[in-house]
Amino acid sequence: MTAFSDIEQFVKTANTLTQMRDLATLLGGAVESLGFDYVALMHHVQLTTPEAAGWAVQVIDYPEPWRALIRARNYLADDPVLAACQRSPVAFLWSELPGRYQMSTRQAEILEAAFACGLAEGFTVPVNVPGEFLGSCSFGLAPGRALPRQALPAAQYVGCFAFEAARRIQTLEHARQAAPHDDGQRRLTQRQFDCLVLAAQGKSDWLIAQLLGISSDTVHHHIEAAKRRYGVASRTQLVVRALFDSQITFADIIR
Amino acid sequence: MLQVITGAGRRRDVGPLAAMHRDRKRVFVDRLGWRVPVVDGEFEVDQFDNDDAIYLISANADSGHAGSLRLLPTTRPHLLSEVFPHLCERGVPRGADVWEITRLCTAPDHPDPRSVRRELVLGMVEFAVLNGIRRYTCLTHVPYLSSVLAVGWDCEPLGMPQEDGGVVLGAVLIDITPETLAMMRSRRGVSESVLQWEALHAA
Repeated sequence: MTAFSDIEQFVKTANTLTQMRDLATLLGGAVESLGFDYVALMHHVQLTTPEAAGWAVQVIDYPEPWRALIRARNYLADDPVLAACQRSPVAFLWSELPGRYQMSTRQAEILEAAFACGLAEGFTVPVNVPGEFLGSCSFGLAPGRALPRQALPAAQYVGCFAFEAARRIQTLEHARQAAPHDDGQRRLTQRQFDCLVLAAQGKSDWLIAQLLGISSDTVHHHIEAAKRRYGVASRTQLVVRALFDSQITFADIIR
Repeated sequence: MLQVITGAGRRRDVGPLAAMHRDRKRVFVDRLGWRVPVVDGEFEVDQFDNDDAIYLISANADSGHAGSLRLLPTTRPHLLSEVFPHLCERGVPRGADVWEITRLCTAPDHPDPRSVRRELVLGMVEFAVLNGIRRYTCLTHVPYLSSVLAVGWDCEPLGMPQEDGGVVLGAVLIDITPETLAMMRSRRGVSESVLQWEALHAA
């Protein structure tokens, strides 16, 4: 998969998908034809935290022993590959890490443990969107397999475009999951949305009124109406519920 | 608000254009180490800063230049056609409705570069819709490709990324429709124009 026409086809197909499992299948095929064995597409956040549910991307095809070990030993927090993504947005080989950064004992242990589980080498493409959690797409190699060096430029494109497709699908899937509970009353009006996003940014009613060109009373009225739609009493609850429902997103309020 | 400034017949050593060229030198030469021409030791100006160029500039009297970008018609010589045609596998896309985005930057010391960048992106989409531009071409360092894609517009690669002086570069094509503008305005909670057509009354 080092021909440009393959990449074009991959991007075109990825952009039409609406199910995460279809993206996983497409990505699996691409990984194989790039000359790699494993892939992990993920936001660097523990999926067990409630705020990650709904928007975090995680498509992981790693050897099962390694997946079990990551969970059992809580490796995610100290993973040297994920740490390297924080330091630089440039794609890298795992074998380059020890020469590039001072690694802790635990980080060295993690790389060795990955090797023992069948991940001998990897190529990681950081996905760095300002204002959002870091993400990455990693391509893994089994021991004894030659690194497909000529495929690395193509792998960078596969990683970036696949991650964007996953972000889009994740938003869709979350909306689908939320839909059965939606009684039609929760959907916010445009003005309620405008006020809520600004309130979630910490702006006062007065400032929101100035920004939107309406009166403070009207801002108050919109926020109260939004609270009634969710049946909640405080602005904090309102923001959390609207985030949970994907009525507003972190991208709307973190700037 | 963004000022729309045409390059034609403009002095580049005064006003918002001078502030832009000065910050471009600080960002692209001093910070990112690009090997691009510098004029009078303080302005980054290249051969495409000519009469064809149109700039969207975020600036005000108090804080000066906050951020800017340069738009070039692809019917005329531009960065992809003259310097990086090899990044386009099937030829450089050209046409009256295809323009090129280059030199997007924010002031090095700006307290909130993300919101400046968001306004610049919204501004270029609005500019496209108002001027019948249907596609933008854009050169990007591959490590920044994810933030280009995350805008949420339709974006496709024009060729394989390639190494150039220690960095990996790629060219992409961005589709712009009125729906792109509507989607971005609704996400940002903006319903009005962010463009200020300074060039019209300054002429």
